Amino acid sequence: MSDAIEINGLTKDFRIGMRGYKLRAVEDLWLKIADNEIFGLLGPNGCGKSTTMKVILGLLEPTVGSCQIYGVPSTSVRSRRDVGFLPEAPYFYRYLSGRELVRFYAKMCGVPKDEIGDRTEDVLKLVAMDEAAHRRVGTYSKGMLQRIGIAQAVVHDPRLVILDEPTAGVDPIGSAAIADMIRSLKERKKTVLLCSHLLAQVEGICDRVGIMNRGKLVLEGSVDELLEKKDMRSLVVEHFPASAEAEVRAVLEKHGAKLASVEAPRISLDRLFLQQTRDSDQLHESEKEEA
Amino acid sequence: MPLIKAKDNWWWRRARVFGLSALSLFVLGLALSPVERPIWDEVKATQPELNLREVEGALGQGLVIGLIGGFRAIIADFLFIKTNTYWENKDRPNTEAMLNLVTAVDPRPMFFWLNGARMMAYDMPAWEAQEMGGYANLPPAVEKNLKARYAELGMNFIDKAGSFHPNDYRVPLEKAQISINRLEDPAQAAKYYKEVVAMPDSPYYADRIYAEMLKRSGHQQEAYDYLRALYPTLPRDNAMAATNVVLERIRELEDELDLPPIQRLPTQDTEVRPAFTAPSENNGFNLGGSQSKEKTNVGPSYGLPTQDFPQESDSEHDHHDHEHDEHSH
Amino acid sequence: MSGGSLNRITTIARNTFLEALRQKFINVLVILAVALILSANFFRQFDFGSSELKFITDFGMGSILFFGSILSIVATAQLFFSEIENRTALTILAKPVYRWEFIAGKYLGIFALLTVFTMLMIGLLAGMLSWREGALMERYPDDFAEGRLVSYGGLFAYGVLELLRFGIIAAITMFIASFSNTNLYTVIVSFFVFVICQLQYVARDGWNDIGNPLLRGMVWVMALLFPNFQMFNVAELMIFPGEQTLAAASAWGIFGYGIVYIIAFNALAVLAFRGREI
Repeated sequence: MSDAIEINGLTKDFRIGMRGYKLRAVEDLWLKIADNEIFGLLGPNGCGKSTTMKVILGLLEPTVGSCQIYGVPSTSVRSRRDVGFLPEAPYFYRYLSGRELVRFYAKMCGVPKDEIGDRTEDVLKLVAMDEAAHRRVGTYSKGMLQRIGIAQAVVHDPRLVILDEPTAGVDPIGSAAIADMIRSLKERKKTVLLCSHLLAQVEGICDRVGIMNRGKLVLEGSVDELLEKKDMRSLVVEHFPASAEAEVRAVLEKHGAKLASVEAPRISLDRLFLQQTRDSDQLHESEKEEA
Repeated sequence: MPLIKAKDNWWWRRARVFGLSALSLFVLGLALSPVERPIWDEVKATQPELNLREVEGALGQGLVIGLIGGFRAIIADFLFIKTNTYWENKDRPNTEAMLNLVTAVDPRPMFFWLNGARMMAYDMPAWEAQEMGGYANLPPAVEKNLKARYAELGMNFIDKAGSFHPNDYRVPLEKAQISINRLEDPAQAAKYYKEVVAMPDSPYYADRIYAEMLKRSGHQQEAYDYLRALYPTLPRDNAMAATNVVLERIRELEDELDLPPIQRLPTQDTEVRPAFTAPSENNGFNLGGSQSKEKTNVGPSYGLPTQDFPQESDSEHDHHDHEHDEHSH
Repeated sequence: MSGGSLNRITTIARNTFLEALRQKFINVLVILAVALILSANFFRQFDFGSSELKFITDFGMGSILFFGSILSIVATAQLFFSEIENRTALTILAKPVYRWEFIAGKYLGIFALLTVFTMLMIGLLAGMLSWREGALMERYPDDFAEGRLVSYGGLFAYGVLELLRFGIIAAITMFIASFSNTNLYTVIVSFFVFVICQLQYVARDGWNDIGNPLLRGMVWVMALLFPNFQMFNVAELMIFPGEQTLAAASAWGIFGYGIVYIIAFNALAVLAFRGREI
């Protein structure tokens, strides 16, 4: 089976202004993304992620090199039958309802008429927007817009889903929901390409990541591989008595190892926020029930 | 290892799209011209050329672009409405200048020409007379001179319409009416009526007035010959042709010329009595409708009834006072 | 063209049309045009006789041409660039949608808008003329001895030709929008081209008088590059067929001329848009 995405020696130049000053957005990029993988393309703003993504989507033509989606050149419209895309900060037709919007894109993707209704409801449930689907898109919050954007991206059941900054500007609860959605896409056998500059948020989702800087891919590999300090291990101990530290240090020394530091493990601020908001929501719910 | 090749440069691609577009449009234009040319000639024939030099100074560049850009009719209409306000204020120089401008902008509507000629020939002398204390206080010679001067202005104006409407009987008809109404010159009126009756679509009443003008200018025999020749050609079933009136004229002229019975028109079925005594008819020229021989054209209703003839010498006062009333509310 | 294509084109067209109806600017333009046509009532205060109908027609057709041209250019540019600027084009073109389908859908949506506009205006004008003609017929029966002066069939037929002129203007705007970067640039260039199309006949009919062969050649080429919009100035001939009329074959010729140019400019728009980087 061919790879979901295969980019060979991609270089993309832009012209700025009439005089034709050249800007190289992507330089000699080689990348393969396997089927049913969640790949995070990471990097700061302006590093060439979005350009790479647009080339994959056929919206831009490579200056040099080529790109294939499941073996089909990305310049061909045919390649997009298998691709769903959520643009960065999506703006949709504000006067349509969420449901109408998803139906509109289903038609665009050539979903058969008799399946449009079921598919629409299915993806609305997937993104947990079924209850707000009758509201006009103009009234949606940022997080809802992203979720309806994901719904329109997967309505035609593509094998590859490309998400550009799906969590940018979304609060931690929304981000967590989106992360759950992305995981469920993987369970549905989809390949996901995720572009983001919010590194911490994608850390827990991606199987592999690539880091781009100034148009070049500077690092690529599985998250564990890249982040793990292979020559170190941490132990998490409950009720650790300070008096035991000297003994532990001695035991480790006996085995030729060294205790580097002793500190209280921390959870991330995101996590703390989620826990707190979830707890207070539950409290609020139960109070309501009691009342 | 896939083949990697540099794509065409941006400028070349852009130039190619432009070049290809221009070339396609050019070829399309060339291919369409056999279809377009005859249609455009047909359309153009109905649009007289614009004399830009004549209107440029008066209009300013913006309006000139509007003019050549296809808003000619509407600009002329608005200029005419402006003319109308000058006319209401009895402003002679501006009314005249605007009438010339309106007809230079769009010489197609007969409405502009006819109204312009009438404003000049009938209204302007009345305004000037008013400034001098009214017609009643003018010596006859001055009044005559005044009317003659403006009659000429009106006739010269309507004359220009002739080059845009060479086959429109209304041009000589207007001149004929000015000749008789303003100059009281039946010979000149007859000359113009002769032109009118020779034109297609001219109304039946023109034939009758033509004969009357001939008669009034002392050409009874010609008038008689004309009506004799006309009479058998008139349709009996068209009230506008007024065959009975024509017959009465013939009988009157036979009496006047004192023709022997053998030379007279034989008694017609419609005649109840042998026509040896002329019927008395005051003026005798309210000769019925304005129906033309063929059809009625889009005609002006400025108020001058073309069939009412001849007007009393001061009738234009009444008429135009009425016009003022119309416009003042 | 496959059923899928047709489906996508009509979906985009429908969406474009609905979006147009929601644009404040377009609504204001339509209301202004309606108000102008109704204000032709103003001519009643003059005693123009049957010529009042000519004034109403000139005024009505002038308003339709004026507002229709603005609408054709501004609405096309607006609806095209709203897709680009709001990135909805990005979402659509990231789907299996051909660029030509996008252009065709957008254009058809705009053409639907222009059809509604033109027919609404022509309908209003027809109502106005019919009402005034009825009143004038009573007042000046002599002028109408041969029946009505206005050909209402001719008025609607002319409406179709006027619609095609707007259609060409919209297609030209679409072509310019397909390669230009901003809404404003598109609107300005399109107006410029519109003026050339309206005026090219002046240069071209006078090209025989041009002495300089180079200039003459340029005028000749220009005349072939741009459609001649004066071909569509046949309102009087079709609405008042009394004195001069337009041969039916010529009316059909103008119709065909319009259709060919609409297709041509849309094809060029597709050509330019295919290479556009979104």
